[in-house]
Amino acid sequence: MNRNEVKNCLLCNAPLNSQMDWKRLFFNRFPKVICQECENQFEWCLHEQDEEVVSLYYYNEAMQDYLHRYKFMHDVLLSKVFREEIYYNLKNRKEMIVPIPMHPEKLKERTFSHVDELLKEARIPYVHLLEKITTETQGGKTREERMNTPQIFKLKKTVQVEGKEILLVDDIYTTGTTIRHAKRVLIEGGAKSVKAFTLIKSGFYK
Amino acid sequence: MKRKVQLTKARQYKGIIVEPEIREFFIGKVWSRENTPFSKEKIDRYIENNYFKVKPAISEKHSFFPFFNKKYICNRCSNDIQQEFVEFECARCRKICVYCRHCINMGRMSSCTDLLVWNGPSEKFPKHHILDWNGMFTELQQKASKELLDSIIQQRNHLLHAVCGAGKTEILFPAVFHCLQEGLRICIATPRTDVVLELFPRFQKVFPNTVIHAYYGNAPKQKGTAQLVIATTHQLYRFEEAFDMVIVDEADAFPYTYDISLQKAVWKSKKKGAPVALVTATPSVQILSKVKKDGWGYSFIPKRYHGHSLPVPRFESLWFYERQINKGRIPKKLALWTKSRIEQGEPFFIFFPTIHLMQKTAPLFQQIHPDILSVHAKDPERKEKVMKLRNEEIPGLLTTTILERGVTISNVQVAVVGAESKIFTSSALIQISGRVGRNVNFPGGEIVFFHHGISVEMDAARNEILRLNKEGFQ
Repeated sequence: MNRNEVKNCLLCNAPLNSQMDWKRLFFNRFPKVICQECENQFEWCLHEQDEEVVSLYYYNEAMQDYLHRYKFMHDVLLSKVFREEIYYNLKNRKEMIVPIPMHPEKLKERTFSHVDELLKEARIPYVHLLEKITTETQGGKTREERMNTPQIFKLKKTVQVEGKEILLVDDIYTTGTTIRHAKRVLIEGGAKSVKAFTLIKSGFYK
Repeated sequence: MKRKVQLTKARQYKGIIVEPEIREFFIGKVWSRENTPFSKEKIDRYIENNYFKVKPAISEKHSFFPFFNKKYICNRCSNDIQQEFVEFECARCRKICVYCRHCINMGRMSSCTDLLVWNGPSEKFPKHHILDWNGMFTELQQKASKELLDSIIQQRNHLLHAVCGAGKTEILFPAVFHCLQEGLRICIATPRTDVVLELFPRFQKVFPNTVIHAYYGNAPKQKGTAQLVIATTHQLYRFEEAFDMVIVDEADAFPYTYDISLQKAVWKSKKKGAPVALVTATPSVQILSKVKKDGWGYSFIPKRYHGHSLPVPRFESLWFYERQINKGRIPKKLALWTKSRIEQGEPFFIFFPTIHLMQKTAPLFQQIHPDILSVHAKDPERKEKVMKLRNEEIPGLLTTTILERGVTISNVQVAVVGAESKIFTSSALIQISGRVGRNVNFPGGEIVFFHHGISVEMDAARNEILRLNKEGFQ
């Protein structure tokens, strides 16, 4: 028996009884892992998209709960939840996909890199070009503090970014500080263009 | 003078003096090594000096046959359902680690995290306690209480089977008091947080001299080592070989009967050879057969403490109630029943099979009376709403099965809508019927099952109540 086979919804544990059909039999790249009801609770972020930053969902209550369980309770399996959506949004992008990195110490604490896991589950190839140099996080800061943080990234030593088109990937977009810092480093390194993709877009409430 | 110096030196040499705070915190518990309220250096020093047993949180069992899958077991929640174990690339160990999703709500435990079990000197509990209770037992209660006490003295498991409203909690007092006086540590576990919250103040009042702690999800921190612990069964995951006696109240409630790992947790939390007592109004067939097979003590109280018979449910057809509710009207019979309750000034509960159906009907009922409220499991104001009904601020409550047990309101009348639904098992229906007529002044009361066809479970519940009444009044 396959240990990783998902039979119950990963979020609410209700049994998943998906019906078998021809399409599912032959093209089922990503079997469902959450139930329809849980899926409906996530709010698509269809409007107010711009060229530079694409986001998939709003940061509503269901998403807050998801992110808490995934990122802070360390439930790695939840990286499967949005794999299909991420796959269809990124498979045709021609840019180089670069996830926002974690500080090595933070990585040890969390035991996994949440952005990398999302991409891995979606089967999107990626390259790490950046290194994080501070251990502090953006969460729990006010808007002013975020805006005034000094540079938090640097380029990895041996990488060449000159003339490359780059797509940054992160989990959540709040004030854009993280993305802006990463973008500046890459542009200074000679990148041709830098765009961003995030799973969640959040209005800043504090 | 010289001798004194030598003495202190000898003491220093022995190792460390155990801080009472650390001992109090860890005694009887299984705790994650990373998540203690003490500094890492301190914990490491205690481990070096052998005050803790350290074991990995997830252990692997290899099959006897090669090429077969290995089997994981979670050492905290004793879960061994393989689908609930997740393998992942651990950035800390740089290899594949495993974690258990079953108890992830209490903080993730993976194969690279350690669990600490106290290995140092054990706690001595005081033997002087006060039992501040001067209620009177009925004959049957007296007998059950004595049987329970006998079983405990003989270190034998016990089943206390008593109808709803028989005064089960009081029956426990002498047994608990006996254990406390022996200096034993006792746990009263129950699957429901509501029940913990109800039992805790009652026990605090009756045993004013005893350190009692209540453990449930998000409970506040409490000082010292409790000799008497009142906890939800989920919290028992955190204990190992801690108690000399475990009492499981409402042992038939969801999720205890449904989740095997909770049952294992109860057995894990007690010391070897310590007795377990189950208290329930509706024991399952499995429990009853176990009682017979393993020679447990058994007491049975078929009669309520006030000596009146149990109210027998009345079946009332309510054909196509769902369709009528969907069309936006309350079925006639149900509306009439509700109106007559309001006219006579009797508080009432109306049970619904699903939250969805209940929320659909709530505005319709509010047309009859604007103060009728509804509660369900996720309602943050659950406690307040029940209090409102108790204080007669509102005429009645619509509810899901969440209020099926532990709630006592005098002169309450009960209706079950859609009693044929799957969720209303016979034990649930018996519990719901048990809400009625618990007060001496109002021993009667009405319990109606509105149905769209009578189910086997409904019949079973009614027959059981009739049987109990017959046995109680022979």
